[in-house]
Amino acid sequence: MSDSKVQPAASGFNDKTAQGIPMGMPSPAVEPPPSGPWKTSAKKFMHNPFAVTGLVILIFFILAALLAHWIAPYDPTRIDMMFPNLPAGSEGHLLGTDELGRDIFSRLLYSSRISLTVGFSVAFVSVVIGTLIGALSGYFGGWVDTIAMRLVDVMYSIPTLFLNILILAIFGSKASYMIWILALTSWMGVARLVRGNYLQLREMQYVEAAKAIGVSDWRIIFGHLLRNSSAPIIVTATLMVGGAILSESALSYLGLGIQTPNTSWGLMLSNAQEFMLTDPLQALYPGLCILIVVLAVNFIGDGIRDAMDPRKTTIPRRRLDQWRKKFSKSGI
Amino acid sequence: MTEYLIRRVLQSVLVLFLITILTFALIHAAPGGPTQVFLAPGLSPEAAQIQAHNLGLDQKVYIQYLKWIGGLLQGDLGHTFKNHIPVGDILWPTVKNTMILMAAAWLLSLIIAIPWGIYNSTKEYGFSDQTSNFISYLGFAMPTFWFGIILQQTFAMKLDILPLSDMYDMDKQGDIGNLMLHLVLPVTVLSLGFLAGYVKYSRASMLEVLNQDYIRTARAKGLKERKVVFRHALRNALIPIITILGIDLPILVGGAALTESVFNWPGMGRLFVEMAVSREYSVLMSITLVVSVLVVIGNLVADILYAVVDPRVQYGRGGGSAA
Amino acid sequence: MAEKILEIRNLTTGFLTDQGMVKATDRVSLDLEKGKTLCVVGESGSGKSVTALSVMRLIDYAGGIITEGEVLFNGQDLIGMRQQDMLNIRGNRITMIFQDPMSALNPVFTVGEQIAESLRTHKKLTSKEAWRQSVEMLRRVRMPDPEIRARQYPYEMSGGMCQRVVIAMALACNPELLIADEPTTALDVTVQAQILELLLQLKKEFRMSMLLITHDMGVAAEVADRIAVMYAGAVVEEGTVAEIFERPRHPYTIGLLKSIPGLEGERGGELYTITGSIPPMSKIPSGCRFHPRCTYAMDVCRTNEPPLSQSLTGHKAACWLDDTGADDPRPAKPNNREAKVTIGTRPEVTQP
Repeated sequence: MSDSKVQPAASGFNDKTAQGIPMGMPSPAVEPPPSGPWKTSAKKFMHNPFAVTGLVILIFFILAALLAHWIAPYDPTRIDMMFPNLPAGSEGHLLGTDELGRDIFSRLLYSSRISLTVGFSVAFVSVVIGTLIGALSGYFGGWVDTIAMRLVDVMYSIPTLFLNILILAIFGSKASYMIWILALTSWMGVARLVRGNYLQLREMQYVEAAKAIGVSDWRIIFGHLLRNSSAPIIVTATLMVGGAILSESALSYLGLGIQTPNTSWGLMLSNAQEFMLTDPLQALYPGLCILIVVLAVNFIGDGIRDAMDPRKTTIPRRRLDQWRKKFSKSGI
Repeated sequence: MTEYLIRRVLQSVLVLFLITILTFALIHAAPGGPTQVFLAPGLSPEAAQIQAHNLGLDQKVYIQYLKWIGGLLQGDLGHTFKNHIPVGDILWPTVKNTMILMAAAWLLSLIIAIPWGIYNSTKEYGFSDQTSNFISYLGFAMPTFWFGIILQQTFAMKLDILPLSDMYDMDKQGDIGNLMLHLVLPVTVLSLGFLAGYVKYSRASMLEVLNQDYIRTARAKGLKERKVVFRHALRNALIPIITILGIDLPILVGGAALTESVFNWPGMGRLFVEMAVSREYSVLMSITLVVSVLVVIGNLVADILYAVVDPRVQYGRGGGSAA
Repeated sequence: MAEKILEIRNLTTGFLTDQGMVKATDRVSLDLEKGKTLCVVGESGSGKSVTALSVMRLIDYAGGIITEGEVLFNGQDLIGMRQQDMLNIRGNRITMIFQDPMSALNPVFTVGEQIAESLRTHKKLTSKEAWRQSVEMLRRVRMPDPEIRARQYPYEMSGGMCQRVVIAMALACNPELLIADEPTTALDVTVQAQILELLLQLKKEFRMSMLLITHDMGVAAEVADRIAVMYAGAVVEEGTVAEIFERPRHPYTIGLLKSIPGLEGERGGELYTITGSIPPMSKIPSGCRFHPRCTYAMDVCRTNEPPLSQSLTGHKAACWLDDTGADDPRPAKPNNREAKVTIGTRPEVTQP
C-alpha cells in the first residue's frame, strides 16, 4: 500500500480511490459483506424449481438404492418359472415379472444401486484425474502441457464408446472394471477446463506473491488455485454423473457391461427388447428410470451452474418482462 | 494459410500415430498378453506355439508393432479367427452403411438446429426457446437405444407403418425408396441426440456473440436488427459451432453404434459390438483405427473450415472462440 | 444563449436485478450547445456510460430500462421514439465511439467494409462509392496507407489504429453529435494524446458537437468547454472548465482535482486520495450520496438530498455547504491548486 502512494499514477483517479482506503479503517460506504458467495449461490439454487425438483428426485433414488434390501418385495435374482411375463399390477408383483418370473420392481430397485454407484464413482474418479492432469499442465506449461494436451487429443479422437467396448472385450466385463474404464475415458473435458482456468489464474498477482514468499508449487496448485476453479469443476462433475449413467446403461445393453445375475437398467432393457411383442411395457420402466435420474442430475448440474453465475438472476423471466413494461418509458 | 495447414496435418499424423500405439499397447496389456488375445481359444500348447510363431507373436514388441503398422499401411487389417476372413472384406461395406446413416441424421439435425438456435437466441425464453430447451434436456438424458426401442414398438409394431429394423427389406436390396423408409426411425433417434446439442450450442454461441462490443458498434451504426444478427453476429457465431462439430464427431459415431445395434443396421458400430462379443480382436483394433482416422480427418476438415471463416486463425493469432 | 443540440432532462435509467430495480443514473440533466464539447467526468460506476448509451437508445439492448426523463436532440425527444425510427438518427446524426477499439470492430470484416457499411446504410451509396469514401475517411483520420489498410482486418492493427478506424466509422456520415465514451482509456499513453488531438481537429473539421465521457480530469481540461461531474449516478457539479478547475464547489470535485498527481513539485509528497469508494448503485446512501466519503459531512447531509443549485453564471453544484454567491464571473486564472480548496472556511449555509 505504501509503495503505491509514492508512485505517481498515470492519470485519473480510478486507481487511487481503490487504493486510497486507509488501512485498518473501514470505509463507511462499503457495505458489510452480507454473506459468502457460497451462501448466495445456495439460496439461488434453492430458488430454482428445476434444480430443487432434480435434487428431490435424486435423493429419492438414492434412498431407494440404499434401502433396496428392505423395500424390494422379492430377491431380484429369484427365478420363478411358474409366473413368467406377468403383466403389471399382478398380485404380488407391482410391475409384473420378466421372462424368468423375476419381479421387475425389485430388479429396478437393485439396478438403481449399480447405476448410481457407477455414475458417482466415474464422475469422482475422472474429475480427480482430469483436475490433476489439467492443473499440472496449466500451471507448469512447457513440455508437461504439450504431452498432456496431445494425450487429450488422442483420447478425444477415439470414440469413447468404441474404446470402452474394446477395453471391456479385452479385460472382461466387471462392474469395477467398468468404473475405471469409463473414468479413464472421460477425464479429458475436466482436464481442458481446469487447464484453461489455471493458465489464467497463474498469471494473477497473488500467485506471484505466493511464490515470492516461498509457498511451494504444490500448495499453490492444490490450495490457492484449486479453490478458485472449484465452481466450474463441481458443475462438470455433476453433469458427468448423468453421462456415466448413460454410458453404463449403453454398455450393459450391448451385453458388455453388467452381467447376470447382477442387474442394471441397461441389462433389463436388453432383455426386454426380446419380448417387445408380448410385453412392451417391460422396456418402458428401466428406460424411464434412466431418463428420470439423468434428467434430475442434469437439472441439478444446470442449477448449480446458474447459481454460481453472478449474472443470472433468480427473478422469473415473466416478472422481469412485466417490470420492464411497467417501468419503461422508452418507445419500442 | 499453407503453413497453418501443414502444421495441422502434421499434428493429425502425430495423433494417429499415438492412437496406433495406444491400441497396440492395450492388446499387449491384456491379461495373458497378445498370445491370449490373438490365438483362437482351445489350442494345445504346441499348436499355440506354432501359431504364435507364424503370427510373429514371439518377436520383440517393437518389431511386432512395426510389422503391424507396415501391414496397415498396405491395407492389410489382419484376419478373423473364425474362418480366417480378411478384416477389410467385412469392414469396408459397413463403413459405407454407417456413413449413410450418420450423414442423413447429421445433415437433418444441422439444418433444423442451427436456424432454430439462432432464432431462439433472439427470442430468449420465448415459446420456441422453451420447447427447444425441453427437447435438449430430453435428448441429453434419454438413452438412445431406449428411444429406439420405444419408436420400434410404436411405429413398427403397433402402427406397422415403418420397417422394424435392417437397411433393406429382404427382397428389395439396393432400392433407394426402401432405404429411405428404413432410415426414418434410426435417423429420428440419432437426430434427436444431435439436435439437442446443436440447438443449445448455436443458441449459446449466438448469445455470446450478441453480447460482444462489435455488436453494440453495429447497432450504434444504425443498422437494422436483422442486419446486426445475420451479417455481424451470425458469421462470428458459426466459428465456435464449426469447432464443436469437429470435437463432437467421436460422440456421434458412438451414438451411431448404439442406434445401429438397436435397428440391426449393418454398419461399423453393429459390427464392432458383434465382434466384441465374440472377441475378434483384430477386427476390433481395425475398426477402432478406422473410426479414429475418420474422426481425425473430420477434425482436420473442421479446423480448415474454421480458418476459412475466421481470418484471425490463418495468422496464428486467434485461437479459441473467445479470441 | 446559443442553440442547444442536446438536452437531457431528469434521465433515470435502471437495471432489473435480484434487489429489484437498481438505478444506474438518477435524474441526470445535461445540456450541450451546438459546436461545443461537454465532458462528463466520473469514476467507473458513476453512470456516465449508461447516460451515453441511453441517449443512443442502445441501453435497451444492454438490458437497461429508461424509467424517466427525456432526451431532446435538436428539440426532438429520443426516449419515446421507436427503435425503428432511431435507426435514422443513430449512426447518422448521432454517432458513438467506444472505449476498447480492438473489441469494438467486428473481427471477420475488413475495416474498409465496416466503414463502408455505415455509408451504404445511411447515405444509400453504391458499394463502389462507399468503398472510395471509406478509404477517404481513413485518410482524414490520418491513417497511413489508407488503401492498404482498408483491406486489412482489425486484428492486423494496433489499438491506436483501430481507434482511428472506429472514429472514421463514426464520422463517415458527417454526424451532428459525436458521443465518445472513454475514447483513449484503452490506449497507450503516447497514443492517447494523438487520438485526443485528432478528435479535437476532426471536431472542428466536421463542425460537430461532442459529448466526451472520461474519468480523466486532464483529458477534460484539454478538450472540454463545459464539464459535468457525475458521482454514483447523479450529476453533482456542472460548469465551464474554468469554473470547475478554478472554483470547484462540490467536495467530490475538489477531491478529484486534488488527487491529480502533479508533474512539477510535490515529489515525494503523499498523493491525495478520497477515502472510501463509490457505493454500488443498489446501496446509494440516504441524503447526499457523497456524504459517507465527505470530510465536511454535516447532519443535514445524512438525511436530505441537496438540490443542484445554479449560480448566476450557470455553474451548478449539489452540496449543502455550497454558496452560489461566491461564484463571481471573473476571467479564468491559471490553475492554482492551493488557492482552490476553500470550502472548509466558508460559513455554513442556513439549512432550509
